[in-house]
Amino acid sequence: MSSKSSRYEKIEFLGEGQFATVYKAKDTQNNNNIVAVKKIKLGNRAEAKDGINRTALREIKLLQELHHENIIGLFDVFGQKSNISLVFDFMETDLEVIIKDTSIVLTQPNIKAYMIMTLQGLEYLHSLWILHRDLKPNNLLIDHSGILKIGDFGLAKSFGSPSREYTHQVVTRWYRCPELLYGARLYGTGVDMWAVGCILAELLLRVPFLPGESDLDQLSKIFETLGTPTEAEWPGMTSLPDYINFKPFPGVPLNQCFSAASDDLLQVISGLLRYNPVTRLSASKVLMLPFFSNPPAPTPTIKLPLPATCAASLAKGAQQLKAGIKRKREKELEMGGLAKRLVF
Amino acid sequence: MSGNFWQSSHCKQWLLTQDFLTRERNEDLQLLGETDYQKIMMFFANVIQAIGEQLKARQQVIATATIYFKRFYSKHPLRSCDPLLLAPTCILLASKVEEFGVLSNNRISNATTSVIKSKFSYAFPNDFIYRHNHIWECEFYLLELMDCCLVVYHPYRPLVQYVADLNLADSLLPIAWRIVNDTYRTDVNLLYPPFQIALACLHMACVMQNLEHKAKDWFADLNVDIDKIIEITRVILKLYELWKDFNEKIEVPELLKKMPKAIIKSESSGRTSAPISVAIMTYLVCHTWYLCTADGLGYIFWTS
Repeated sequence: MSSKSSRYEKIEFLGEGQFATVYKAKDTQNNNNIVAVKKIKLGNRAEAKDGINRTALREIKLLQELHHENIIGLFDVFGQKSNISLVFDFMETDLEVIIKDTSIVLTQPNIKAYMIMTLQGLEYLHSLWILHRDLKPNNLLIDHSGILKIGDFGLAKSFGSPSREYTHQVVTRWYRCPELLYGARLYGTGVDMWAVGCILAELLLRVPFLPGESDLDQLSKIFETLGTPTEAEWPGMTSLPDYINFKPFPGVPLNQCFSAASDDLLQVISGLLRYNPVTRLSASKVLMLPFFSNPPAPTPTIKLPLPATCAASLAKGAQQLKAGIKRKREKELEMGGLAKRLVF
Repeated sequence: MSGNFWQSSHCKQWLLTQDFLTRERNEDLQLLGETDYQKIMMFFANVIQAIGEQLKARQQVIATATIYFKRFYSKHPLRSCDPLLLAPTCILLASKVEEFGVLSNNRISNATTSVIKSKFSYAFPNDFIYRHNHIWECEFYLLELMDCCLVVYHPYRPLVQYVADLNLADSLLPIAWRIVNDTYRTDVNLLYPPFQIALACLHMACVMQNLEHKAKDWFADLNVDIDKIIEITRVILKLYELWKDFNEKIEVPELLKKMPKAIIKSESSGRTSAPISVAIMTYLVCHTWYLCTADGLGYIFWTS
């Protein structure tokens, strides 16, 4: 066996999260394809003693079973001593970068395209009884051709077993739905759908829609904006474990929050941000709303905007690729055009 | 996990054929013969079950751990890893994958030590010598050799659905469930999809309870390959035949003596009784270990 540690050649450091460090690398055994290597941190001593990190294991376990254009692909897993690294599709950017990049104009067709890709990935995930539980713009990754893929499955879990309770400490606060904030231990696809609603709002506003500073503040932000729910509107609300009574806010009509949004788009937002998780729309239901079939048509992925930095590096990459192909052709010619690979 | 069996790694990569098993086990079968090989596997399935019960783990965790154990040896000879180390390792990995609460490495080590003392001292006169680091090093190795396929489907869930559909849950479920438990002492879980195993067990339970007449139409309406169900039934019946005369206390010590063990050129003067863990350790320190998901990587043997 040849040494595999050198298969992935580190190009640059991309970022660091709570559980992992991510590098851009090239796969020297596969056409120098660009990949992302996520090196899982060892954690403290007590955690390391229990073997492979649970978050990493969850990602490996689920991504090994998931194959969809709008879900991040796991290529490879390798280890070095006691470190474990996961190798993913390399993604140029993510929706958070795009939202924050003020030089990019997000038109309604662009937003429609992003929403369709997110919802299709999510529909697939939910059809396999898996909840993502950490949807946010930062986890919606975008590749060089504009295709959006849902990433980071470190909190994802299968659901649907009525006897199993889950922690409510999931989902980044700003995208967390009211039932989680009220401490619900049994929940479903609604938690992901609410997050999608918040992401859609953020695509329109270009700033986080409900940026709560604490869990309590998050609830009041929600109620101030969407109105305080009543038991009639959301049956069962008052019996949730952490329920607290809020001052009744009337809320702001959605067409005032999103003054530029068309009616069919407002219909999508209100379907996603329903208080009662049972009536909140599912991914499949949302995709059937008129917004997605009405004109204007969604932007083709290849025409979706990319941040300036990505575009520059892509152009450079394309040039290199061209040069590479040329070199390869020349080499083939030298060998009399017989450079065929033996396939076993 | 729920999800879709037909698109799963279990269905696509881990439904093996009898020919494949015979070929891969050739080395062990030449040495031990079919019957003794199966007896060793049965014995270690019992060890996994006992450790799991000691930990009060759910049956789902124990079942998954048993499958991991079988998957490992379906592609590797017994000498590649001491089954006594692999057994608790499979439980550790399965407990994390199934997400039924945390089973720490510590608790698993302790449970293994006490089970070996209390229940299997006839087979293992020495104490359980492996430590935490052995187990988690072995865990990496296990993950690698299973190609990172961790989600396993079991016959329990389809079984529950079938008896409910038949409306005979009370009279059939307990006995069919026990037969399903017993299938983990055979290879059927490596060879057939779980729903077929559930049907075979259900059919056997019907026969045993004299309820065949009530279920006859239900079975007749099924759109399944009945030959497969018969094949599975045969394997299970063969297991019961073998089990009847299997005196573990007398036979297992002999079998373990016969079992091929890892031969290691050990650099560190580790205890000779723990060769494989030393092997794994030296292996991990010297090389980068490598897991593959997409492209199949050849075997890694470090013994010669």
